[in-house]
Amino acid sequence: MSWLKYGFAVFLYLLQYTDAVFEDQVGKFDWRQQYVGNVRFAFFDTHSQASKKLLVATEKNIFASLNSRTGELFWRHVDKTGPEGNIDTLLVHGQDAVVVVGNGRVMRCWETNIGGLNWEVVLDTGSFQAAAFVGVQDFVKYVAVVKKSAISFHYLSNGHQKWVENLPDSDTVQYQTVYSDGQEEVLVLGVVPNSHIVVVAYNIEDGEIMKQISVEAPWMSSLEESCVVVGAGILLCVDPITVSLYTLPLYSDQRTEMNQILLQSLDLDVAPGFQPVLTATQPNPARAPLTSFFLQLGPEHHLLLQLKDGIITTLRDFKPSRLAAFATSGEKTVAGVMTPKNETACSINLFTVDTGRRLLDTTVIYHLEPNGGKPSKLYIQAFLKKDDSVGYRAMVQTEDFALTFLQQPGRVVWSREEALAEVVTMEMVDLPLTGTQAELEGEFGKKADGLLAMVLKRLSSQLILLQAWIAHLWKLFYDARKPRNQVKNEITIETLSRDEFNLQKMMVMVTASGKLFGIDSRSGSILWKHYLENIQPNSAFKLMVQRTTAHFPHPPQCTLLVKDKETGLASLHVFNPIFGKKSQISLPALPRPILQSLLLPLMDQDYGKILLLIDDQYKVTAFPSNKNVLQQLQESASSIYFYLVDSSQGRLSGFRLRKDLSTELIWEVVIPAEVQKIVEVKGKRPNEHVHSQGRVMGDRSVLYKYLNPNLLAVVTESTDTHQERSFVGIFLIDGVTGRIIHEAVQRKARGPVHFVHSENWVVYEYWNIKARRVEFSVLELFEGMELYNSTAFSSLDRPHPPQVLQQSYIFPSPISTLEATLTEKGITSRHLLVGLPSGGILSLPKMYLDPRRPEVITEQSREENLIPYAPELPIRTEWFVNYNQTVSRVRGIYTAPSGLESTCLVVAYGLDIYQTRVYPSKQFDVLKDDYDYVLISSVLLGLFFATMISKRLAEVKLLNRAWR
Amino acid sequence: MSSPGGQGGGALSTRGGAGARRMKWALELSLGNTRRDRQGGQGDVMYPIGYSDKPVPDTSVQETDRNLVEKRCWDVALGPLKQIPMNLFIMYMSGNTISIFPIMMVCMMAWRPIQALMSISATFKLLESSSQQWLQGLVYLVGNLLGAALAIYKCQSMGLLPTHSSDWLAFIEPPQRMEIMGGGMVL
Repeated sequence: MSWLKYGFAVFLYLLQYTDAVFEDQVGKFDWRQQYVGNVRFAFFDTHSQASKKLLVATEKNIFASLNSRTGELFWRHVDKTGPEGNIDTLLVHGQDAVVVVGNGRVMRCWETNIGGLNWEVVLDTGSFQAAAFVGVQDFVKYVAVVKKSAISFHYLSNGHQKWVENLPDSDTVQYQTVYSDGQEEVLVLGVVPNSHIVVVAYNIEDGEIMKQISVEAPWMSSLEESCVVVGAGILLCVDPITVSLYTLPLYSDQRTEMNQILLQSLDLDVAPGFQPVLTATQPNPARAPLTSFFLQLGPEHHLLLQLKDGIITTLRDFKPSRLAAFATSGEKTVAGVMTPKNETACSINLFTVDTGRRLLDTTVIYHLEPNGGKPSKLYIQAFLKKDDSVGYRAMVQTEDFALTFLQQPGRVVWSREEALAEVVTMEMVDLPLTGTQAELEGEFGKKADGLLAMVLKRLSSQLILLQAWIAHLWKLFYDARKPRNQVKNEITIETLSRDEFNLQKMMVMVTASGKLFGIDSRSGSILWKHYLENIQPNSAFKLMVQRTTAHFPHPPQCTLLVKDKETGLASLHVFNPIFGKKSQISLPALPRPILQSLLLPLMDQDYGKILLLIDDQYKVTAFPSNKNVLQQLQESASSIYFYLVDSSQGRLSGFRLRKDLSTELIWEVVIPAEVQKIVEVKGKRPNEHVHSQGRVMGDRSVLYKYLNPNLLAVVTESTDTHQERSFVGIFLIDGVTGRIIHEAVQRKARGPVHFVHSENWVVYEYWNIKARRVEFSVLELFEGMELYNSTAFSSLDRPHPPQVLQQSYIFPSPISTLEATLTEKGITSRHLLVGLPSGGILSLPKMYLDPRRPEVITEQSREENLIPYAPELPIRTEWFVNYNQTVSRVRGIYTAPSGLESTCLVVAYGLDIYQTRVYPSKQFDVLKDDYDYVLISSVLLGLFFATMISKRLAEVKLLNRAWR
Repeated sequence: MSSPGGQGGGALSTRGGAGARRMKWALELSLGNTRRDRQGGQGDVMYPIGYSDKPVPDTSVQETDRNLVEKRCWDVALGPLKQIPMNLFIMYMSGNTISIFPIMMVCMMAWRPIQALMSISATFKLLESSSQQWLQGLVYLVGNLLGAALAIYKCQSMGLLPTHSSDWLAFIEPPQRMEIMGGGMVL
């Protein structure tokens, strides 16, 4: 009987955790944005006039189709990350898109309408060089793939291999290009650097070598970079050293030398230090390329040239010009050129390719973003209008990975911020109070100046409030008269204000490209963006909130520390997180490489937290740095400690600040780098609150938590990756004293280790090699039944080591990231948010990861509501907070508390961005959405009237009785 | 009044008090009990004012009545003590689980002695006529205190009293942090 009772109790207990999103809540407070990454190849689908598809292949190994009218995704195929999924080339013909992936590992053909896979073939080994469509008699039938030492022919219809042939002398010749123009043979072009060019012609039908010629070209190092094929099989190359063009007819047999044409003879000059770039176009792979081509001679100088009968003529000189591109619609090919107009705008014009004449009424004005990147690539979608003239739309790609789609005469149809596909770090900042709210707040902040003045001030602020309320009513009345669809609640920076429960926040996102975004957390709309130029790839970013919005009239302030990995030098970018504006504060000079930063809880006179920057000589620079700050630092210097972890040397060192802002080394822990490598170090989050200082046992005594704010969790992985000897280590180190509080080693385990360090626990995840499964392990630290010192925590005065409890569990899925929920006061129970590679975000109750889960159920453990130990952790479908909104390649999860204790804001970022709210203990402080107000109020009213009536009746009855 | 209920005396006094409260004075024009009149339907029989058709009882205190009063007062004083065995039995029956019925029992058990202690002056007035007034008062007090103690014990065994450290856990403030620490991996 007891097991039944117990089972029922567990069932009831679990019932309160079965919390899922209802159907009508979908999209109510959550949103997802899907990205594809920086575009490498883009093709407009010109198959039919009405087509609105844009095919893109990106640096993130994604092949996708965008709706060119709205910028939304039609479909998206996410391949493996890293070089294995790298898209080598994208060829589009009609409804077929051929993609070669992973350095020539696999070739796939996609159907462009619905994104279905036509066929997939695994190619022979060898590094990929080039691929091209091959047409026979105006009809594209084959795909030719050139690898390091072989060429293979595949049918476009089914991917079957027609033939494969070895390339001659492939150990010395670098074959780089394949060329075909619908004739009987296909040409493979190779180069022996600084010696000669090799041209090999293969028969399309059987792969027989028709001919093989070699031409002297001692100046050439790479075919790909300097040569194009123009006209009927004429190879055109540019040599920056002799400043000349070379031509070579590929189909003639006798030539042993290239024909040199000096650019000076054409009255042209190359900008110093610039490698000239040739651009040609072959509208139909079954026909010869056009005779016209672009030659770029400088960063802002393009030329449209034509090569006819061995003579080069200049059709048009574009100076200045930023970008140029060809576009074809049906039989017509045009050239689009972007020319700078003034500081903030560029104009795009269309020109005919055969004469260089400008087409009338084709100007599109492109306005540069105030804090955006420069345009880096232009794509033109040309189409024939009804009167047979050419119309076009243009897509501009900028340095900051943004895509802007323009329509005549310059309307931005849509824009995509692809930088958001790689968010590095983010913070959520409270929105400011509205002007009137701030006015009221400000009244209390100011110093008192006389009774009368105060009264007047109060009256005036009340008047302002009244005015605002009337304006609001008037707006409601005004909007009510308008039809529904015209009323739009557009969120702009001006209308931003904090809501009642502080659920709407500003998400400040830092992307790897160096572009910063301010995103409204409720709608997901981008409110501001700021591109930081000259950010090296793989720089380290650290974002800190120095001043929140709580200190009106001082504006909030965020500081981004950017460290260049190459030089080690760091720079600060200080900005207002609400408006994205760069702050005018004078920044400290940072001549030396910065190792780390430390945001102190101390504030300067303007309520800004003090930021300390530690350079490679362990000297400290304060920001802001004024007399007040320095005085504060001197006063509290003896209690400021910091630690540095050098992963390469396996050294952890602790320092103490001296009064003169130098530091002294106080401890050092060396973890031998030959044996194990420090992977990650995490302290506790500074904004974390723990409400309960202990845990109540079954006998109603208290087990106090070991809440050391200075505790660090250090995770190491063994350098030896052998199955038997590999291990994962975890060290708990006090960051002030360097004392190792606990260490645990997980044998026969391997990373990547994901872990969360919060309150008095550390949860980490690793791969168990022996059992071949993912395991979770939890460490919990307790002080014991008594508190050593309940008023103050000092790491220097802790004589008793904590009790450490540990338990491990099996998790049925690999994971990609791990984070814990965070709430305002820490009363709500905690959940772990687990990002899965499948794109799900799982909200796993922390009570499942509790080292006190008993193996044998006792009365006391039941009293404590401990779930009996089971090695497997369940995954319940209702625990997925993002239901079917898959978040691809989730890399990080950010949690922030809201104004409601029950609610935690969650942002998952990776390729996609997903924002939602979670309620780990359900919404105990808010009425449900489906709360029956009508029923409750009608019952209340009914009872009220019933009371009134019965009171009256009772009075009448009493009176009657008295009269009797 | 021989029922085990200890509140007999109290009820008696309150009844009298309530009656006194309802009317300051009353002039009974019709003779005899009005209610009986109405029941009897003899309202038309008229008597002179002040005439009663019943013989007036002899109200002079006699020796045997004094014994009776003494006995009656001891009944009042011993009432709470007599209830204790009954309470013990109820306590045993209701068990230690926290649900609506045991809670109601405990409330009743705690409330009755407290109520009695609050109206102790009225009980003392009742006992005034007795010669052993002080002893009886003491017994009455002790009995009620014992009843209250029993209720508290029941609360304790049900775990309703904040006697454990866990009951005060929510009031412990987080300790103040003495050191400021930060840092991380070398960027």
